[in-house]
Amino acid sequence: MTTVALGLVKEVAVAAHAPRFLYLHWPFGHALGEPGNVVQQRTVLHDMLSMAAIAAEPGLVIDLPYRWRREKYEPVLDWRTPSEAVVSAVSFRTHSDEIAKSKRWADPKEEV
Amino acid sequence: MRWFYKLLGSWITLPGTGGEIVSDHGGPVRTRAGRLNELWARWLSGSRLGATVGHWASRTISLPQLRRLATGKIPWAPLRKPISDCTVVLLTTGGVHLRTDPPFNLNSDSTFRVIPKNAQSKDLAISHQAYDRTDALRDINLVFPIERLRELEREHVIGRLAEDNYGFGLMGSAKKLMPSIKEVARRISESGVDLALLVPA
Repeated sequence: MTTVALGLVKEVAVAAHAPRFLYLHWPFGHALGEPGNVVQQRTVLHDMLSMAAIAAEPGLVIDLPYRWRREKYEPVLDWRTPSEAVVSAVSFRTHSDEIAKSKRWADPKEEV
Repeated sequence: MRWFYKLLGSWITLPGTGGEIVSDHGGPVRTRAGRLNELWARWLSGSRLGATVGHWASRTISLPQLRRLATGKIPWAPLRKPISDCTVVLLTTGGVHLRTDPPFNLNSDSTFRVIPKNAQSKDLAISHQAYDRTDALRDINLVFPIERLRELEREHVIGRLAEDNYGFGLMGSAKKLMPSIKEVARRISESGVDLALLVPA
């Protein structure tokens, strides 16, 4: 069974070996946001579902970029497309893995 | 001595001194915690310094335990069907349970409660003392987004919301929690759930 965990303390989820983990720097007791802010709550759920759909390897931790009250939340228009926050985090990770594997430009000796 | 126990219990959460507080807005009820516990929880949730202390406490208590318990590879079960065909189950550690069920022990409780998918906000209760429940009592979706998931089920975004969803309370020992976790995992996998969403408090 696939699991996606939401969390407010990052190190704990990493230590618990959560396969897919979304981290929010929000106050305790507000995992999905503010009372009555349906758009904000649905944004977080969209991120959770997106992560279930597209995370490609175990142990992926995503820092969601939302800044608590200062953020402007837009309604989710297309639930079939994974959220931008999750897509960019997944592609960043894949991309940096590729760079790490090739190691070409990072190795000063090879440059010479 | 009984009056003294009651007096002490009004300040610090003690077994049998609680009782419940009914919400003014038709929302969930709340199990009464000691006044000092309540102030502490409010401080943890409501101030920057409190949040820092809360994060620190959470790491100090759980990291050594989790490092002992979670060894080996990270488990991996990729989703094999589209989200719109999936049965989704919701799990919370925010101390949410049915009002008709016995409340969680506020100081520590390793048991779990089943919450049916059609549970309404007024049928629910929160028994937890490590976070400020004021906002969650106004809108249960902050710690248990059951109304949002029912919406997503109606909109055919998810296939189905599982009949039984699960609530856990406050527990400091991960090891003591393991039997409950295994039991819930067994029930969930036997009921044909594809995706589990875990929400903390």
